[in-house]
Amino acid sequence: MTDMKKLYDERLGRYQAAMALEPVDRIPLASGVSTYAEVYSGNNKQETIYDQEKWLQGEIKFCQDFPVTDTLRSNRIYGPLFDALGVVNYKLPGRDLNVDTQFQFVEKEYMRPEEYDEFLANPTDFIVTRAWPRFMASLADPGSLEYANALFKAGLCQAAFGAFMMRRGQTLARDCGMPQPMSGFFLAPFDALSDTLRDFKGIMRDIRRRPDKVIKACDLLADEMANLALNTADPTRSLPVFCPTHKAMFLSPKEFDAFYWPSLKKTLDILHHAGHRTRLLLEGDWGPHIRHFLELPRASVLLDIDGQGDIYRASEAVGHHQGLAGGLNDPLLILGTPDQVREKVKNLCQTVGRKAGYIVNGACNIPYDTKPENYRAVCEAVEEYGKFDPGVKPAPRQGVAGPRPAPKLISTWARQKALIKAPAPGDEALIEAPWNRFEALAYNFWWQWVV
Amino acid sequence: MNELALAMKELDEDKIMELVKSGLDQGDSPLDIVAALNQGVVGVGELYESGEYFVSQLMFAAEILTEVMEILEPAMVRSGRTESAGTVVIGTVAGDVHDIGKNIVGTLLKGSGFNVVDLGVDVPADKFVEAVAEHQPKVLGMSALLSFTYPEMKAVVEALAAKGLRGQVKVVIGGAPVTDEVKVYAGADYWAPTAMDTVSFANRAYGK
Repeated sequence: MTDMKKLYDERLGRYQAAMALEPVDRIPLASGVSTYAEVYSGNNKQETIYDQEKWLQGEIKFCQDFPVTDTLRSNRIYGPLFDALGVVNYKLPGRDLNVDTQFQFVEKEYMRPEEYDEFLANPTDFIVTRAWPRFMASLADPGSLEYANALFKAGLCQAAFGAFMMRRGQTLARDCGMPQPMSGFFLAPFDALSDTLRDFKGIMRDIRRRPDKVIKACDLLADEMANLALNTADPTRSLPVFCPTHKAMFLSPKEFDAFYWPSLKKTLDILHHAGHRTRLLLEGDWGPHIRHFLELPRASVLLDIDGQGDIYRASEAVGHHQGLAGGLNDPLLILGTPDQVREKVKNLCQTVGRKAGYIVNGACNIPYDTKPENYRAVCEAVEEYGKFDPGVKPAPRQGVAGPRPAPKLISTWARQKALIKAPAPGDEALIEAPWNRFEALAYNFWWQWVV
Repeated sequence: MNELALAMKELDEDKIMELVKSGLDQGDSPLDIVAALNQGVVGVGELYESGEYFVSQLMFAAEILTEVMEILEPAMVRSGRTESAGTVVIGTVAGDVHDIGKNIVGTLLKGSGFNVVDLGVDVPADKFVEAVAEHQPKVLGMSALLSFTYPEMKAVVEALAAKGLRGQVKVVIGGAPVTDEVKVYAGADYWAPTAMDTVSFANRAYGK
């Protein structure tokens, strides 16, 4: 076994053991979203989303300089895809923002309140033909040359990006022994509805003026989000699926219980039954809601605690039942001193880190502007204070596949056959298998824009 | 607390709209209506502080106020009388284009009777300085969602000092990544953990 393979196995095994609430040799330092790694080697923010090779080189340098790191991040946006479609709900560095400003999502009401019934009748049709063209400028004129060209280019960009992400994962594993923290993604159904469709103001009105429709929409979206997650998840079930959460922090417990949790739980249950764990970024303060994770099977989720949250309380509330990550907040990493950082890591390891299932991380992410000396202090302190059970030899494992709903398709081969009046005298299975595969990819392509 | 103030406190949107419209029809002074709404907003703030209301309720209160003000403002212009609790300049700092938090603060300030100068998002330091020079507020509020903005906040405070304006304005900062450490780093006067805290701070700055 090469050194890198050994390192890869140790890191992945350590990360997986923590998520499984099992003892580890040392507490993992496992971010799901480290934006710092991207800028550490000198890339500006435009380069990271437009020049994939630069992004990868930046991460390689980071892995070499901070070998205590167990995981970095698994996903990124790819500028050319956004340009091909004319996506305007994201502001991109170098395109809409200064090259050194991070990309940002701007909410707008892309689904009007009177359109709920249309959405409920066929959500996929609605998002593709009604909502998305409202923020994809190149799809504004269906049937035009620009429209057709944009779709074709977007498909090419998506394929190129997929191929790069695969190569990136393989390169980081082979050359740096660095595993991915997650594979696949989805949003909580309530967030899917509010972020990209109704926007924040809209959803806040809806939960008072048309609560039944919000609940129905979230229930439908649970199936869509599970489909998106399952189609992008790790088939070996070694890695968790990623779910950032956005709006729960604004809701009262009563609203959370009525509008947010039932459909999120439904989605998480589908993933769990299919054999997948989920890593959720609990953005904002989830203090009033976090006890709900006790309702899920033990060790079925890993929860990233945000800076406005409280990891000590989270540990008391659910730390015996689910994995937790976090504790190093942005002001500490950006403005603090290495001594302060070291003290904090020591404190975390000696308190929340006493329970199996704790992972050292920033507050949902390692921020761009982390001081290098502070991240170095994190690494040193994790080595010094994070020893948990040195007898444990971390080794990776695969998950067990369970039943999953069939992948969703927009059109079936049978329908297409009728459309083109094909007699299909040959082996139809040979036609139908790739048909279904590309249909599933296309379905995902459209739904990924809720994220 | 009169019926309108109570409806505001309870966020009973339909009732509020009905009372405001019938009040105007009956010839009630728009200022009296605003005063009742202000009283209701104070009640909302109290319920928020006691943990009964969450951001969602603040947000909805802000929504209702925005709608009511659309009806009231023409009436206030017609009556020719405006009174303000004071002026507050707000904005999201350079590089950050998020506005949810800033907008909640802005509307609650308006609901509490302040004249709010909202500079929008991605506001460079010199725009903040110009607005302070022009509007002479006692309070300047800076909002941010993203943590790369710490130096921007500091830059605004320094720019105010460079123009000799720092002494006349209290600087309050708020938003998800903002903490007391950030306040100290940026040289601000106050860190508002919640939107209501900004309103209370503005009230204190104007001696209320």
